[in-house]
Amino acid sequence: MNAPIVIENLTKYYGSFLALDKLNLIVPERENIGLLGPNGAGKSTTLKILCALIRPTSGAAYIDGINVVEKPEQALAKIGAIIETPEFYTYLTPVETLGYLGRLRGMKGEALKKRIDEVISLVKLERWAKIKIEKFSRGMKQRLGLAQTLLHDPPILILDEPGLGLDPRGVVEFREIIATMGAKKTVFFASHQLVEVAQICKKVAIVNEGKLLAYDTIADLEKKYQTLEQAYLQLTGGSGE
Amino acid sequence: MSEFDKLRVVIGYEFLKHIRRRRLYIIMAIALLAEALALILVPTLMTGGFPKDQIVGGVVIKGVMVMAMILTFGASLAAIGSVFFAGDAIAGEFESKTGFILFTNPVKKTTLWVGKYLAGFLAVGLLIIFTYVVMAIALVIIYHEVPVQIFGSLGLCLLYAAAVLSLTFLFSALSKGSMGATVMTLLFLFIVSQIVESILAFTDNPYWFMISAGGDSVTLPYGSLLQLMQGLGIGGGGGGPFGGDMSSFGALTIPLAIWGMLIYIVGGFVGAVLISRRRQLA
Repeated sequence: MNAPIVIENLTKYYGSFLALDKLNLIVPERENIGLLGPNGAGKSTTLKILCALIRPTSGAAYIDGINVVEKPEQALAKIGAIIETPEFYTYLTPVETLGYLGRLRGMKGEALKKRIDEVISLVKLERWAKIKIEKFSRGMKQRLGLAQTLLHDPPILILDEPGLGLDPRGVVEFREIIATMGAKKTVFFASHQLVEVAQICKKVAIVNEGKLLAYDTIADLEKKYQTLEQAYLQLTGGSGE
Repeated sequence: MSEFDKLRVVIGYEFLKHIRRRRLYIIMAIALLAEALALILVPTLMTGGFPKDQIVGGVVIKGVMVMAMILTFGASLAAIGSVFFAGDAIAGEFESKTGFILFTNPVKKTTLWVGKYLAGFLAVGLLIIFTYVVMAIALVIIYHEVPVQIFGSLGLCLLYAAAVLSLTFLFSALSKGSMGATVMTLLFLFIVSQIVESILAFTDNPYWFMISAGGDSVTLPYGSLLQLMQGLGIGGGGGGPFGGDMSSFGALTIPLAIWGMLIYIVGGFVGAVLISRRRQLA
């Protein structure tokens, strides 16, 4: 239970639809783990349970040893998360949004102001820092989403398709930021982009129909299936040929 | 960081939302328009200008009280404006998916809802106080006095706003979307509650527990509605159909109306918190 993220027999039903089927997974400290799978595989459901946005039907999820269902506030204090395309209050500017979220996490004063400037600069939103979010494109919201994830310098990052909506330059910048930050943090990262995952993570978990199909290093999967793409296709039901 | 500190943060930013949104100023304009129309139409349409002191059935009905009652409609409109402050409070976080950011912060949902409620009440409260100040200025200009009962009316109006806010929170917790919550609350306030209240009143049954009775109570500190209507020269003790109707509304007292509104304030908000706790952001 000492690993940053522990998932035990996690099961989730949406009505009669089984989204997660007794999923077990451990994400070790300071490792970047990619969560791969086709649409409806259970990736987002897993991350949403870890972020206390939804409750599991059975099983448990732990962040830094804290049960997410039982003590959500304590668990959430340890993470920074982007789930789906982030939406923000349109009447606030990025600086105000980060001020709000930072204060909710106990940050204040000059330290908060300095950190807001740092993360805004990191995601290259300086020109838009004091413009209301109602004017933002999807990619800009994604950048702000990453900024709020990093604002409080959490030890664990949970990212659901963080590159979604970004232009090619944005994707590259995003990847660099996550790769740099990931060297010092635990990153659990869901994506459809195999190339993106391969550049950020050394290890991946492949899920389909709520079940864990493989959890191995990319190098080992490539040895076994020739490429990560082949591993993904064969494990998730494609021919792979 | 304590939950109280977080509550203060939530109130601050939620209040900022109300200040920045156009709806606050639209509701303010409508409330002021209602007061302005009363100040123009009453002296124009009534013979002899603004209502004057008169004795009806041995009871002195002061003109300033009658005018205060009429002007209070503007403040009541501001109280009803609570619906537009709270319709999206809970439903909006799910509908617009801003909850994906907000709910991943280490703050209790109850703290978020209480903060949103208090910020909404603060905004609508300031709006109501503003309309009462305008009303007081108008009364000073016309009658050279402001009845002390205006404070009682203000208190009841704030209580009514709090009750409407709670009810809207309840519908916001139940509803998938903000618009649905707003429409459902307005339908409940103006159709369901009004109809039930009227039926109960006409059949001589207590109706203080209806939220619309809370709205009616805002003018009670100035005197009974029947007396004040008589001060306007209408509803003369059951002579006409309107007068007959008004006589049925004498049963509402201020303490009963306060109890009724407290039920909605507590019941509505607690219900909203319990229901929204079960909601998941899938």
